[in-house]
Amino acid sequence: MKRAIPVVVLSIAGLVPVWRYEPSAGGTTSTTAEPAVTPSSSASSSGSGSSSASGKVVKGTTVNTDKGPVQVQVTFAGDRITAVSMLQQPNHPQTTAAVPKLIAETLQAQSADIDSVSGATITSEGYKQSLQAAIDAKGA
Amino acid sequence: MRRVEHVMGFPVSLRVDDEGVSEEAADAVFAWLREVDSRFSPFRADSEVSRHGRGELRRDQLSADLAEVLDLCEHYRVATGGAFDAWPPGRGFDPCAVVKGWSVQRAADLLRAAGAGRFVLNAGGDVVASGGPWRVGVRHPEQADKLCTVAELTDGAVATSARYERGDHIVDGRTGRPATGLLSMTVVAASLTEADSVATAAFALGAEGVAWAAARPGCEVFAVDAAGGVLRTEGFPVASRSRAA
Repeated sequence: MKRAIPVVVLSIAGLVPVWRYEPSAGGTTSTTAEPAVTPSSSASSSGSGSSSASGKVVKGTTVNTDKGPVQVQVTFAGDRITAVSMLQQPNHPQTTAAVPKLIAETLQAQSADIDSVSGATITSEGYKQSLQAAIDAKGA
Repeated sequence: MRRVEHVMGFPVSLRVDDEGVSEEAADAVFAWLREVDSRFSPFRADSEVSRHGRGELRRDQLSADLAEVLDLCEHYRVATGGAFDAWPPGRGFDPCAVVKGWSVQRAADLLRAAGAGRFVLNAGGDVVASGGPWRVGVRHPEQADKLCTVAELTDGAVATSARYERGDHIVDGRTGRPATGLLSMTVVAASLTEADSVATAAFALGAEGVAWAAARPGCEVFAVDAAGGVLRTEGFPVASRSRAA
């Protein structure tokens, strides 16, 4: 039976109002947001046996953008990313509006009818075995 | 018309569906990419890039093309807090990550100028699509003959950074060490210049690169983390399971 794919919406967008109504004028707002989601109990995959309930929280370095500094926080269960949230966000309507919503899914391995393949830069030697080579051969 | 040639060390596949586009237009694409290889390869001692890297060419002596590439490198270095750096610690000048996307995007622009409206140009896994719908599969990071998703594009670009093909070649410029936080990072954007640079820069940033790339205007992201979990933006153009009739 096909198991429902656990889709977890990391509601970074849900934090937008927090930034938007931060009363500080100019500069940056600094919110210490809790991780937006906690890992579902079925999240641990082979290779990451230790998925504690809280997970490991890592703060990213502060990155300067055109609109001001941005800092993200990533929560791990083992090597799995369970949440990404913004610690620092420029106090700028354009960027707050543009804060993305991220969706967590399980990795699928599929075959499909396609026109081209994107992947890490393949070497000329590796090309023969690649899906792209098969597409090129089929269409030639 | 279909062509495959090996340029810059990787295969370049071109498919043009327009009837009236001449073979010369395709010739011009590959001629441009060979020119880029000779001028911008850090692996050729006499290239403009190598000469700049050795300090033989000052900034004001560079071609307009290389100056444009350097501006792009600087843009992404600042935007990533130094994780993406064409001058990584302990290594020579290497703007490859920007040159690839920039040059293949320009090749696509040449095709458009020659009258091509419906084509797919795939340069070693980086794709520019025009006049779609086109279905572009994203290689599964652990199974070379499988896909982890399919993106549907009308006009746009897809680039993927990962280490399953060439090992730990992407360095976190903040530490000088290989980036290992992600298995693969795929970015869809309007131009390949942006998609390829953002994919590489986000891969260098590691796990925090997912939100960073997703926050860039016009970028849609499909990332596989080190444990094999997917994080993608809501707007990533996931294609339907099968091709529309």
